[in-house]
Amino acid sequence: MREFNVLVVDDEEEFRDLTVKRLEKRGLKVLGAESGKQALEVLEHSHTDVVLLDVKMPGMDGIETLRQIRILKPLVEVVLLTGHASVDSGIEGMKLGAFDYLMKPIELEPLIEKLADAFERKRLQQEKIEQAQMKRHMAMPG
Amino acid sequence: MELSNYYTKIWLRLSGAFCLLITVPMVILALVTFSNLKDAVIDKTELSIGRLIEHKKDVVSLFLEEKEDLLKILVGMYPIDFLGNQENLNTLFKAVNQAGSIVDLHVIDSSGSQLAYVGPYAKSITGKNYFDAPWFQEVLINGSHVSDVFLGFRKVPHFVVAVTDPLKSYVLRATINSETFNKLLLSAQIGPSGDSFIVNREGTLQTPSSQGQKELTVHDKTLLEHHEGTAITKTGETITATRWVKDGQWCLFVKARIEDSLGPFYQNRRNIISVIAATGISFLVLAILFSNYFLRRLELYDRKRAELGGTMVQMEKMATVGRMAAGIAHEINNPLQMITNQAGWIGELLPDEDPALVKNMDEYVKSVEQIKHHVRRAGTITHRLLGFSRKIASEKQNVQFNDLIEETISFVETEAGYNNISIIRHYAEDLPTTMADGPQLQQVFLNLINNAIDAVDQGGIIEITTATGTSNDIILEFADSGPGIKPENLKQIFDPFFTTKDPGKGTGLGLYISYDIVQKLGGSIKVENRKSGGAVFAIVLPVIKQG
Repeated sequence: MREFNVLVVDDEEEFRDLTVKRLEKRGLKVLGAESGKQALEVLEHSHTDVVLLDVKMPGMDGIETLRQIRILKPLVEVVLLTGHASVDSGIEGMKLGAFDYLMKPIELEPLIEKLADAFERKRLQQEKIEQAQMKRHMAMPG
Repeated sequence: MELSNYYTKIWLRLSGAFCLLITVPMVILALVTFSNLKDAVIDKTELSIGRLIEHKKDVVSLFLEEKEDLLKILVGMYPIDFLGNQENLNTLFKAVNQAGSIVDLHVIDSSGSQLAYVGPYAKSITGKNYFDAPWFQEVLINGSHVSDVFLGFRKVPHFVVAVTDPLKSYVLRATINSETFNKLLLSAQIGPSGDSFIVNREGTLQTPSSQGQKELTVHDKTLLEHHEGTAITKTGETITATRWVKDGQWCLFVKARIEDSLGPFYQNRRNIISVIAATGISFLVLAILFSNYFLRRLELYDRKRAELGGTMVQMEKMATVGRMAAGIAHEINNPLQMITNQAGWIGELLPDEDPALVKNMDEYVKSVEQIKHHVRRAGTITHRLLGFSRKIASEKQNVQFNDLIEETISFVETEAGYNNISIIRHYAEDLPTTMADGPQLQQVFLNLINNAIDAVDQGGIIEITTATGTSNDIILEFADSGPGIKPENLKQIFDPFFTTKDPGKGTGLGLYISYDIVQKLGGSIKVENRKSGGAVFAIVLPVIKQG
């Protein structure tokens, strides 16, 4: 499996730490954040490909965090995860450009598959952008 | 029992009120009419009695005047020498008395002795002198006289008319046949108990009373006071008319019993009573029929309202239960996530262990898998409860239910065939299409058909009917020939986790989810037991045009 960077955002420490540990064991580079605010800081300072974002959090909730992420790092893919949110917030998340919407309980394998799919999309998007940039450079030599 | 008592009370009050409303005015009207009719009859009787007495007065007066005039003519025509001759008087009597109203004729000289007599009582009165008789004196003074009735020398009731010549040299006297005179009044009788007679000033009867009255009653006597014209008095049951005749010497009485003239009134009254009774009875029947009709409507309305109330309660209950189930599912999902995470972590770490040091390695691996398996099971249930397994955004397409149901049947037909279950379709050919979520409804149909297959035994029958409803809707019915649903289960059949299947065979969510889907599409789903056996689920969905 291709190696990529994941940010796990969840206010529940036990879940966050364990998920980080398990994803790292599968060879991913994983960071954890306990709130939306912290997540935005982490995104600012380190390279992240995919964010696994809990919808229901105290303070800034998942949907709001998602909105901020789309502004700050439009290329970063976000997978929403919830045990609490209603279907409506899922729909809203999708509208805001989340890659997908997952519901707890979810096992590690399908979660990793989903994260990988998200990374794949990000990679493709990035490639397109790079190609476009390259074309521009070639069209405008010098 | 309580309820039927309540309706009986309403019925009694309603029909009672109607009856009173109808009968009271009718009875009042009848009573007023009776009273008016009776008054009219009495007035009419008074009128006819007044006319009659007037007529009789004329007849009596005419009769007396006629006799008096006859005598006056004779006296004026013939001198005393001629009349005093017996032979002449005989001839004359025959000539003037062809009607037979005169019994005899006397010719009496001024000294009171008889000059001549013609009549049947010659013997008994021969030689009598009348000079001292009051009537004789009066004739000599007044020139004429009509006497009261008296027995006289002959001992037979009679009265006399007497006149004298202008010189008062003699008196011609005629005795009037009482019977002839009495006959004049005979026709003056009104009704079988009516009466008519003449009395003198003292109240002595001059003609016989047809009712056998011998003398005046105390009341009659009070009427004897002199009055002009006709006086009519009503006492109790009798109307009495009085009229003075013969210059106030005699008083004519005509009596009529009110009862006698009431015959037509009674006839009328009987007619009116029967008409009223007939009308009353028909109104009564109408009132009862109307009350029955009204009560049936009331019962129907009450029942409908109760049903509606029941539906509202059911919808509210389902909403509450749904919210609760969703809430619980949410709360359970987090711990489930932790369980599967932790178990997964163990599963990942186990391969790192030295197999030689871990005796039950295989058991641990198996156990971890089992834990994950059970979390998946629980997760399936919470996901279904939250509707997460359904599409996030329901996509509405133009759906033809006949086709959709047919497609659904194809999923289960093989299984049904194994069990020799036949599926009978009653599709409405002109069933309109409607905008709906096809895949979700297919899940509903699948639930219902699967339940039906579970309910019927080998060789059972499932009937599926599609029809166009009356209020721009579509009705889909799924009926089975199974044992039906127990009445106590009907109310909670749509509740989540309610199942009659063996433990582990059903989650009890199928009908709940079906209910939820249909409800969200603006339709309704109902279940009842068919009279012919088995249960029938009826789905009603609105027809929504594309656009």
